[in-house]
Amino acid sequence: MQTGMQARKYRLQGAGLDLALPYLMLAPGLMVVLGVLVYPLWDGLRASTRAYRYGSPISNVGFQNYVQLWSDAQFLNSLWVTVKFVALSVSIEAVLGFALALFCLHEFRGIRLLRTVLIIPMVITPVVVAILFRLIYASDAGMLTALSEAMGGGGVQILGNPLNAFIGLVVLDVWEWTPLMFLILLAGLQSLPHEPFEAARVDGAGPWRVFADLTFPMMRPVLAVAIVLRTIDAFGTFDQVFVLTRGGPGEATRLISIYGYDTAFKFQQTGYAAALFVTIGLVVLALAFSAIRLLRRVDAS
Amino acid sequence: MSTRLARILTTIFVLAVVLLPIYWLVSTSLKSNREITQEGTLYPHVPTLDNYVRLFTEKQFGSYLTNSVVVTFFSVAIALVFGAMGAYAIARFRLPFAAERKVGLFLLTLRIIPPVVILIPVYLLMLSLGLLDSWLGLIATYTAFNVTFCVWMMESFFREIPVDLEEAAMVDGDSRFGAFRRITLPLAAPGLAATAIFAVLVTFNEFLFALALTATPRAMTMPRGTATLIGRIDTDWASMAAAGVIGALPIVFFALLVQRHLVRGLTMGAVK
Repeated sequence: MQTGMQARKYRLQGAGLDLALPYLMLAPGLMVVLGVLVYPLWDGLRASTRAYRYGSPISNVGFQNYVQLWSDAQFLNSLWVTVKFVALSVSIEAVLGFALALFCLHEFRGIRLLRTVLIIPMVITPVVVAILFRLIYASDAGMLTALSEAMGGGGVQILGNPLNAFIGLVVLDVWEWTPLMFLILLAGLQSLPHEPFEAARVDGAGPWRVFADLTFPMMRPVLAVAIVLRTIDAFGTFDQVFVLTRGGPGEATRLISIYGYDTAFKFQQTGYAAALFVTIGLVVLALAFSAIRLLRRVDAS
Repeated sequence: MSTRLARILTTIFVLAVVLLPIYWLVSTSLKSNREITQEGTLYPHVPTLDNYVRLFTEKQFGSYLTNSVVVTFFSVAIALVFGAMGAYAIARFRLPFAAERKVGLFLLTLRIIPPVVILIPVYLLMLSLGLLDSWLGLIATYTAFNVTFCVWMMESFFREIPVDLEEAAMVDGDSRFGAFRRITLPLAAPGLAATAIFAVLVTFNEFLFALALTATPRAMTMPRGTATLIGRIDTDWASMAAAGVIGALPIVFFALLVQRHLVRGLTMGAVK
């Protein structure tokens, strides 16, 4: 069967001009990607081994930029802030998204409205999401302050306080991305086979048993993919922080992307920033590939 | 009975959490700055559209909108054409050394790397080509990102379409490319639509590269222009809110219009 299909595919390729067709069809896209993504990637690697002054390379420094990163307190801090931010946001989103998906699995009135409304946070421009939350957190014009005053309280201070600002950023991310988690997990739940659940019902299993013994184990691969996707995405978070806090107060919300951006464009340390970004890229790739391998093993067992 | 009550309460709670911030944005955009900071009202007592008018008369929101539409349109259109062809080649042909599969994997790897990683070299590239602060620089950048995405997404759509149909068309005298164009492509139209919608969303909303690659209203996109406004007028909450509404409106409207395709595109990769 397999070889039959293979042979048919070869036959389909035909003769003459058709032989070149696959290459002709791949070429335009590949050319754009090579020019605008791959060349810069290579150029970035090269820049990361150089020292720059006023935006032009002055000397080759080998791996010194990479070594320097690990004794740079600001880099280490931004890495720590990023890891905290990603771990906290993604796990809250996974739990809330899963709960909401289970809740919406059974059709009821209002569910369509709910699903439609839940699309809004993740399609709104991230910059505007940040504006939304600045308008909520602002100590003078903010919704929290207005609510607190309406109930007889005083002004609320969020973005001026390091801990509150960090929590405020996590809340923003949860608001924006729980819907995506929800949609993926709902699609996963809807694609589960019915038979095991009916058998469990016939056997008189309670809802908690069904969840622990059936739903959760069967959902594990989808859950893992959703978490990996969100983790990779959250690692590169930039827009929301840039507009909400610009990394402050102090370094409380300075994610690694913000630190890299400032290093490159504010402090003009092009080579050092390039080394920083290459390091992030490698970390994310390693994360992604180990996740894929883990998933394959789960699939196999 | 109690489950019904729980459902209603949860639904109301979720709706409130999602919609309250949006209500506050719209409500703030309809107030004057005096009302916002001094009176702290919960809804606009003296509604005004001044904030919106100012965006288009005093700030260059007309230009930002034009730039966004032009850049999004071209980068998505070009990426769709290039991406569909590439995806088809990967889905259907078997090349020596499994080259087609390697190209697919390579494009997927590029997609996983966070875009911020190549921000600096892309900036340097556009600088050396004289394409900073231009439509062309943004279009080239976004097209490349969109191609990796389109190829990856379209490939699975093409795989779902049976080869027999193309064979039949070729028996009837179509060329290989003709069969692709007249048979496969129309059959993959829903997939193309889902891909295009997703690409439009991501491109319209992109901020990081717009921030680094543009500097004036000549090429600044909506997100970029909105962020600039905020930088300059830290306490002009009214303009900021109006800018937020204008910035979000086109894309939210678009997303709700194409909701069905969108959900499919968002969840497809994960569930498969």
